[in-house]
Amino acid sequence: MEEVYEQEFKFEEEKENIVENTVSWIFKNIKFLLIPGSRLEELSRREFEYEKTISKRKFIRRLKSVLTILGIIIIFVIITFAVHGTWIAPYTKAEANGVLPGSWDPPSASNLLGQTKFGRDVLSRIIYGAYSSLTIALPAITFSVIMGVIFGMISGYYGGWVDSLIMRFTDVFLAFPSLILALVFIAIWGQKMEYIMLAYGILGVPYYARLIRGSVLQARELPYVEAARVSGSGNWRLMFRHVLPNCIQPIIISFTFDIGGIILSLAGLSFLGYSDMTLIEWGNDINIARLHLYDAPWSAVWPGIMILITVLGFMLVGDGLRDALDPRMKNL
Amino acid sequence: MSMIKFIIRRLLSLLPVLFGVITLTFILSRLMPGDPILAHLPRNFTEAMYLEKLEQLGLDQPIFTQYVIYLGDLFTGNWGNSVSLAKGSPVWDLVLERFFRTFDIAIFSIFIATIVGLKTGVISATHRNKAKDTALRGFALVGVAIPVFWMGMMLQYLLAYQIPILPGIGYKTPGIGDPPVVTHLRIIDCILAFDMVLLFDYIQHLILPVLCLSFITLASITRQTRSSMLEVLGQDYVRTARAKGCKEKDVINTHARKNALIPTITIIGLNFGGLLSGAVLTETTFNLHGLGELLIVSIQNTDYWVLNGIVFLTTLTFISINLSIDLIYGFIDPRIRY
Repeated sequence: MEEVYEQEFKFEEEKENIVENTVSWIFKNIKFLLIPGSRLEELSRREFEYEKTISKRKFIRRLKSVLTILGIIIIFVIITFAVHGTWIAPYTKAEANGVLPGSWDPPSASNLLGQTKFGRDVLSRIIYGAYSSLTIALPAITFSVIMGVIFGMISGYYGGWVDSLIMRFTDVFLAFPSLILALVFIAIWGQKMEYIMLAYGILGVPYYARLIRGSVLQARELPYVEAARVSGSGNWRLMFRHVLPNCIQPIIISFTFDIGGIILSLAGLSFLGYSDMTLIEWGNDINIARLHLYDAPWSAVWPGIMILITVLGFMLVGDGLRDALDPRMKNL
Repeated sequence: MSMIKFIIRRLLSLLPVLFGVITLTFILSRLMPGDPILAHLPRNFTEAMYLEKLEQLGLDQPIFTQYVIYLGDLFTGNWGNSVSLAKGSPVWDLVLERFFRTFDIAIFSIFIATIVGLKTGVISATHRNKAKDTALRGFALVGVAIPVFWMGMMLQYLLAYQIPILPGIGYKTPGIGDPPVVTHLRIIDCILAFDMVLLFDYIQHLILPVLCLSFITLASITRQTRSSMLEVLGQDYVRTARAKGCKEKDVINTHARKNALIPTITIIGLNFGGLLSGAVLTETTFNLHGLGELLIVSIQNTDYWVLNGIVFLTTLTFISINLSIDLIYGFIDPRIRY
């Protein structure tokens, strides 16, 4: 290996204009730099073999299907809307939530997608809507993953009465219709963004606890865990340094799926009127537009399309991740 | 014999879950803000009237006493009276009527979704990574990702307003009568009463909601069928069947599909349970006066009794569907012994 490095070093030294070289190298290999999974022709055959053995799954290469890339692009666009909405939208956030002249007007030059209640611009509202959907969905799902991992790990690792206790609780929560639970939680706590987040966070916990418990039960019997125990690791170290990394795969997959799912059920909740009505949110918009469906259909169509596209993006990426990560699908 | 033993064992293991759900509903309903007694009283009530009503409804008791009374009432069928919708009518009647209306829609949706979903799933698996598969997968993904209420609204706009061929809202044309109640299932009631006008009217009203619900259910069934079909098609016995000269049609239909059915059945059952409780959005969109609408009204009005009744009934249905699916496994796959 050292020889190779030395050769390369000399090779670099011989060329005088390093900057020009680098730039031309970048232009020549732009495909390699931008498209994940493509490779350099100059790579030696040996290195190729080496690469092949260390990444048997060829994770990124499996991820490189058309649909997955489409999903990644969609998520990227939605995140751009959420972060830079104020730059993209034609109206400011205050205007999009205020009272403007005109009401339920059809699409025109000033309102490209038409107007909704109080003359608010539909285009601006669907762009700002990305922000509230993502800011509710992401913390909620992070909360449920963290709590679910803790409970599921304790339950699967210790077993015994702790396991039965936690599992009975999850049984009850899973048998309970989740929409009813969300509605009741929000009725109890009030229609505020933080509470909606918390309600969805709590609803996801039993599901994730179940998911991770199953994989922990398999992983804790593996020889390397035994080895770590023999070498003196404590329970916590075993649980979170040795067992957890082996069980994280299903969590990653269902995390991606569930972001979409939460955005969808969030919209449903807003549609029923159980959400912060001052929020610019797609479900809210559809709820408002519902009464004027026949005379102003444009105000209902676009928020729905945005929900559909966003959820579709997350589902596509989830699908791609599952195909890439699931070893059972390898030889299909 | 072993099957009966299995059923009894499953039922016993379900008891703690049912008990937990009942307790959870009780706690949640008592935590809800709002006062159900106010709904019973006239606007200018006195304190004496309030206290009298409180005592009459049993809400003046300590919370644990209330809980025990509630448990006793639940199992003896005395579910109390509604305070919000149809004031004073027994909860049991109200919930049952609404339950069967939702059941009607759910059973049609699941029926259509199962038939179409199995077909598309198998086609998608046998044409893996070809144009047909990609199209069907995209279709299924749209079904998973579409907000059902939005789809309902678009259908209403297109098929009830722009091209007015179907009724957009409600479960019957206003002013039209009801058949005599025999089974609570409106279709069967109509047929029993030989009232073809009512039957046709009802079916017309069902088309759009069923279309919505079956589309979202269809999607998950297709996806599940596809993945389990793919798994089965890689098995050795499929290769054996092909090697000994079976027709491709027979390989797919008899050898592979039956074995791919088990995970699909699970998904169908889960979806059916979900449809019964989760048709809230569709019912709101189409103004169907089903269980979901009753649920919303009961939460808005702090109607403990109706809320408890709905949750108890849906949980019971959910649990019994899961149980019956476990039993269906045995019929599909004779290898499964209980």
